[in-house]
Amino acid sequence: MQAEEAIYSEPAVRLRNITKRYGETLALDAVNLDIAANQVVALLGPNGAGKTTLLHILCTILQPDNGAAEISGFDILRQPLKARKHLGVVFQEPSLDDRLSVYENLDFHGLVYQVPWRLRRQRIDEVLALVELEEWREEMVRSLSSGMKRRLEIARALIHDSRVILLDEPTVGLDVQSRARIWEYLGYLRRTREITVIVTTHYIDEVEECDEVCIIDKGTILAQGSPQALKQTHGRQVLRVTPRDQAADAEIVALFPDAIRNKSDQLLLQSANPQMIDDFLQQFGTRVRQLDIDTASLESVFLSLTGRELRDKPADAREKTFAFGRRGGDFKR
Amino acid sequence: MGLLGGLYAIWLREVKRALRDRGQLIGGVSRPLLWVLIMGIGLNPYFRGEVYGEVQFVVPYTYLQFIFPAVIVLNIMYTSVQSAVSLIWDRQFGFLREVLVSPMPRSLVLLGKILGGSTVAMLHGCLVLALARFADVTLSWFDVLQALGLMFLLSFALTSFGVIIANRIRTFEGFGVFSNAVILPLYFTSSSVFPLDPALTRAQTRVVYPEWLVTLVEINPVTYANDALRGVLLNFNQFDPRLGPVVLVVLALVFFAIALWEFRKA
Repeated sequence: MQAEEAIYSEPAVRLRNITKRYGETLALDAVNLDIAANQVVALLGPNGAGKTTLLHILCTILQPDNGAAEISGFDILRQPLKARKHLGVVFQEPSLDDRLSVYENLDFHGLVYQVPWRLRRQRIDEVLALVELEEWREEMVRSLSSGMKRRLEIARALIHDSRVILLDEPTVGLDVQSRARIWEYLGYLRRTREITVIVTTHYIDEVEECDEVCIIDKGTILAQGSPQALKQTHGRQVLRVTPRDQAADAEIVALFPDAIRNKSDQLLLQSANPQMIDDFLQQFGTRVRQLDIDTASLESVFLSLTGRELRDKPADAREKTFAFGRRGGDFKR
Repeated sequence: MGLLGGLYAIWLREVKRALRDRGQLIGGVSRPLLWVLIMGIGLNPYFRGEVYGEVQFVVPYTYLQFIFPAVIVLNIMYTSVQSAVSLIWDRQFGFLREVLVSPMPRSLVLLGKILGGSTVAMLHGCLVLALARFADVTLSWFDVLQALGLMFLLSFALTSFGVIIANRIRTFEGFGVFSNAVILPLYFTSSSVFPLDPALTRAQTRVVYPEWLVTLVEINPVTYANDALRGVLLNFNQFDPRLGPVVLVVLALVFFAIALWEFRKA
């Protein structure tokens, strides 16, 4: 980690004590974060963790209550126009004009970002090829599927000289194929362009390939590092058991007081090692309905940092978050 | 140069969207036809009437000629205020964000939108202007140029006004009701369909028309837009001919300033 920081002396994104409140709710609690240049970084956390708020502050459509932030060395509060000039943003909700054609949307973007004519033409061809939408060039955007729209938005964020690109849940609501494709493009970008990609997600399986993962929950950053490093420091083997009956359940809980119960009524025993697993099987082997051994995964990292499973977030809270995000995104509240 | 390109892009988008909207175009064509052909021709014979038993020409023009500049104003009013709907649209469908995270200053974003809306409104005004021959209005090129200038000022002022309304209304439905509730009263009290006879003294006018109506007409800024256009197209003014352009310039500046102030704050 420290060696890496020495190589990239100037971070692409620097946040200092960024704080944001929505009424009573503390959305971001004095967040400090440095993101080195030319990396793919995932902000991983459940819905409502503050990921979207963080991105909205970075792209200056939301004002932080406190703190400072820089993008490629430009202060987002004092020099917002310069900070935005090299920033590409893909929002969670589509922000295309669906009454214009694919080409017109891209050309509009190029003009607004002051990309010279010749370069604009060239970039439009390039990005359309990248996201495999060349044949749709003259089609109206409203005739595109949601996966294609998302791809077009990613393409659009690459028309200008973006050095940092922010993607807010780019894979939500898409089918498996489209999701895989979007990650393919991001991987390709990292290999071919000097660009820092910051992507928020609550799908844990998507972040394994990232250079760095920031785990964020309840408005604070809990850990930051490469997936490998995170797994080494915070990851544990987890024994996931479904007891056969109440009695077994009670006994297991008595024996392992740190067991965590998840939503599907499984018990998660965190300090699993081969010896402990053998002991457990000897004692309870006949009294469990189901037993899984999770190797040290990012899921277990999240579990050991927060005491919850990432996927356990109940649906109603999730809906609340969406409403909350909409309010946060609404400029006039 | 780069910023001008951005301004052009925002302007162009507004114009393209409006021209692709069939409904808006049909409204822009049918409205003047209705007013000029049916209202105008229908009321034409009644226009030269009697006042106190004594036959006099109220206005030295036919009703069709008299109403013609006002129909231009009406078409511009509808289109300008409607074009502000695109702001609600952009907010609702997220496109506004695309512009707000771009390196364009907010003032230029708004200026581009309002210029785009004004252009479309002017085009709709020109649809009426093209009917001049049927209304027996003869125009020189200089008249047309002057008229276009006034129409632009009016469009710009009204589009800014539409944006101010759009900032207060969040739904399309609400906007439709509201814009009708604003446009029609403003139109009818702007001396558009009836003249305040310049041959009558102020005291006489107040005998012919109820006082509240005269006051309404006099405080309505659209009255002066109508008057200015009549001055240019018919050489007929009910008020001081210099008043119209001044009122239009002041309206354009004030409404744009308010719209900008609100847009920045938002």
